[in-house]
Amino acid sequence: MNTALPTSIAEYLEQLRAALVGADPALVQDALYDAEEYLRSEMAENPKKSEAEVIASVAGSYGAPDEVADIYRDTEVTVNRALRAPPPRPRKSALGDFFGVIADPRAYTSMFYMVLSLATGIFYFTWVVAGASLSAGLAVLIIGIPFVILFFGSVRILSLVEGRLVEVMLGERMPRRPLYAERGKPLLQRIADMFIDPRTWSTMVYFLAMLPLGIIYFTITVTMIAIALGFIAAPVAVWFFGANAALGVDHWQLLSIRDDVIGTSVELWALPLLFVAGFLLLFFTLHVVRGIGMLHGLLAKHLLVKSAAY
Amino acid sequence: MTETDIQLKKFQKELSAGTVSLALLAVLARTDEPMYGYQIAKQLERFGDGVLSGKQSALYPVLRNLGAAGLLDSHVEPSVSGPPRRYYRLTGQGQQTLREWAAAWRATRDSVDSVLEGLLP
Repeated sequence: MNTALPTSIAEYLEQLRAALVGADPALVQDALYDAEEYLRSEMAENPKKSEAEVIASVAGSYGAPDEVADIYRDTEVTVNRALRAPPPRPRKSALGDFFGVIADPRAYTSMFYMVLSLATGIFYFTWVVAGASLSAGLAVLIIGIPFVILFFGSVRILSLVEGRLVEVMLGERMPRRPLYAERGKPLLQRIADMFIDPRTWSTMVYFLAMLPLGIIYFTITVTMIAIALGFIAAPVAVWFFGANAALGVDHWQLLSIRDDVIGTSVELWALPLLFVAGFLLLFFTLHVVRGIGMLHGLLAKHLLVKSAAY
Repeated sequence: MTETDIQLKKFQKELSAGTVSLALLAVLARTDEPMYGYQIAKQLERFGDGVLSGKQSALYPVLRNLGAAGLLDSHVEPSVSGPPRRYYRLTGQGQQTLREWAAAWRATRDSVDSVLEGLLP
């Protein structure tokens, strides 16, 4: 790509965006942010120079858009290699594949995210519903306008926070800098842009969806872990801690603790099977959790970032 | 671009990979004030040529990288001239790391120098 040197900051950022086409949207957002910081600072240092002159000198020190794009692409690769947990060794057998999940940190971080998502989901949902209804209610009053603007701004910040959570726990690359394009426009125009930007709306949809999703994630995780641990605990209790097997009080019970008597309704011969089933279920749970985490990462990427970069 | 130019560029790139991180830590260690990306880049520019005079856009991802590794502490402050700036300062771990890296660097420099000694015009 060999284009003429841009003459304004907006043009420079536009060229950089074009040069980064196809790169991870989160990387694009970071690169644009950094470039804008540098260009604006350079402008402030040299108030006498025109925008075109500043950009011409910056092309030497900071780099022309094409060069900058290359640098960011390169660095992203190195940084990923240096910072991310190394990907688990590919297992040769299907068996190794199934049990190897126990050594994958991503499975545990996903599990943590899923348990946490109940709390974050409730918070996001409440925030958006309360903010949106208050905005609608106050819209007829004069304080309604600043309130709406504040609410929309807060949604953007929350989106960045959620992005950090998703990147750390689910491993999906998310932006590290807020979206800060179109700096040159007047304030009113920027506020208007916030309302037109499809990302603002898709972010709200994401936050609303987080309540049901959070409940589902939390329930799946807790239920499956509880069942698996129960399956493992019952035989262990019988074999090592003198609990009774084949207990017949009231109704069938996997594990009952009552009046100092610990026991299970499972027959003695079936205990080893139960034990094995519990272990398999535990591994299966880790797979499910990791899979859901990956899917959720894609969903978050799509609703929080995708529409923004281009 | 001739063959030797390409090779020189490649060599510079490899050289700068680690030294830039070291130089960034050193620049931040020289002052008590937190600094933002542009300031750091200009500060580094003042120290002259060599691999550190490469494109300054390369510094930003490295800063972020060092921050993520816990060597730098950062916070954001609004600015009148553009987007809010992220200010960086060295953490305790960063100072420790800088000492170790500086020692490694000096050892490498000395041994490379002594190998080169008397060889070049």
